[in-house]
Amino acid sequence: MRESWSPFSFIVTNLARFVRPHEVTFSGVNSTLPMLACLLAKRAYDFEFTYINVAGGVDPQPSSIPISSSDPVLAEGSRSIFSNEDFYDLCTRGEMDLCFLGAAQVDGLGQTNVSSIGDWHNPKVRLPGGGGGAVMLPTARRAVTWRTEHSRRTMVEKLDFLTAAGGMAGVVTPIAVFVKRDGRLALQSWHPESSLDEVRARTAFTFDAEGAGPAEPPTGRERDALRSLDPTGTFERDAGVRLRPEAAA
Amino acid sequence: MSTSKIIPLGELTSQVANGSSLALGGSFLHRGPFAFVRELIRQGKRDLEIIKQSPGYDIDILCRAGCVRRTRAGIVAMEGNFGLAPYYRKAVEKKEIELEEHACASLTAGLRASAFGVPFQPCGGLHGSALPELNGWQKVADPYGTGEAVYVIPRITPDFAVIHANEVSPEGDVRVFGTSHWDRIMSRSAKRVLVIAERIASSESFASQPELTLIPHFLVDAVAVVPRGAWPGSCWPHYEVDYPAVEAYLPDGADVLAAHLAAAPEAQEAAHA
Repeated sequence: MRESWSPFSFIVTNLARFVRPHEVTFSGVNSTLPMLACLLAKRAYDFEFTYINVAGGVDPQPSSIPISSSDPVLAEGSRSIFSNEDFYDLCTRGEMDLCFLGAAQVDGLGQTNVSSIGDWHNPKVRLPGGGGGAVMLPTARRAVTWRTEHSRRTMVEKLDFLTAAGGMAGVVTPIAVFVKRDGRLALQSWHPESSLDEVRARTAFTFDAEGAGPAEPPTGRERDALRSLDPTGTFERDAGVRLRPEAAA
Repeated sequence: MSTSKIIPLGELTSQVANGSSLALGGSFLHRGPFAFVRELIRQGKRDLEIIKQSPGYDIDILCRAGCVRRTRAGIVAMEGNFGLAPYYRKAVEKKEIELEEHACASLTAGLRASAFGVPFQPCGGLHGSALPELNGWQKVADPYGTGEAVYVIPRITPDFAVIHANEVSPEGDVRVFGTSHWDRIMSRSAKRVLVIAERIASSESFASQPELTLIPHFLVDAVAVVPRGAWPGSCWPHYEVDYPAVEAYLPDGADVLAAHLAAAPEAQEAAHA
């Protein structure tokens, strides 16, 4: 069955909805979906905001949308280069409004592990490492992460390693959007073809779901913007996001 | 007028002794000193320490070839659609190399300490992370009494910073286009600076716009000119990532690595010379 709202679009669109007017928003390395979300927000929303990225771009006008979210094409059309040291310093001095940071595991406090599966010293899987996370998550005004797999091994009660604390302001998965409330992740909405029961069953940490409901479907402008960014569906195919694991699992 | 610092890539690379620590410029698949990295492999270097906030192809191929003893890094991946850096990952999991895991900014703080001539450097953030305990980083109270506490990162002084640049003058002035990643702080923190460049530009062109120069010649020890030397990565605006070449690099096998090394631009150049 094909979903009316693809889980890929669900993630990108809901990441974009964290972008607010007149703020500074950042996307980094290894962050294709947030990169698309920031570009979608530029095209779909009427308000102004500043989009900076790890390629040094400041409100760039890229001539093409790159596979790598750190590709130098993301500085095309930028009138300045705001380089790596600049955006880290901006963040640690408290002036980064929103940044998107990767995570392998997320716990109920919105803390992340991007370091290892298993013990750090004897890893079953050595993960990439947190990059900016340990410094940016506690110092950005808001940080948001995403997972293309929503399961009890990614949405965990206890992290295998605490790479970055401070707590995400938002987490987006193929079936759910969490926001921070009273210092913990709380469910804000679920994919219209999912349910509260399913989100609970696939999440190992406990969470408040008061006021949560099915997510608002994408607006025409959000749909059009994503289609313009990914006209051939290449990003969607490469991301390979599924609403649920294969039935055989 | 100073004399030219331009020498062949092989000669430049031979200045690196086994056991050296190398800060490598660029980020992931973008503007890295990859021709130099491959030359390290051809010269059979051993026990290297690789220092870079976001290594990928470079640390991966050096681990694959057995050149690495230790790395300090913030995030390691091939990026694009390739995910984890497979040979690096195996090397860490099998404990063939030692990892000092950083946040990118903590690594920068250590390099800043070296550049500033002080033994350690405060770094914002890190609160609550397990990384400070893992690495033995100390937290100190503000001696001026604000009540804030900050982590301090010990000095990191690489033996070499190795940068891939767009243009150099014959004297060794360095220009890069687009973001400089962490190349600037690397060039100020290391004991010596080696540069690989796409091409030579005249000293006059550097003098006409000196504010575009990232690294002045007196900080630079040697330069090799290697067109397409950042392959299979990008070097803006000259060329983009060669994704098929990255994909062809990934499968297991000594023959795969050998074919990849032979296909590299600097090897093709040598073959035709």
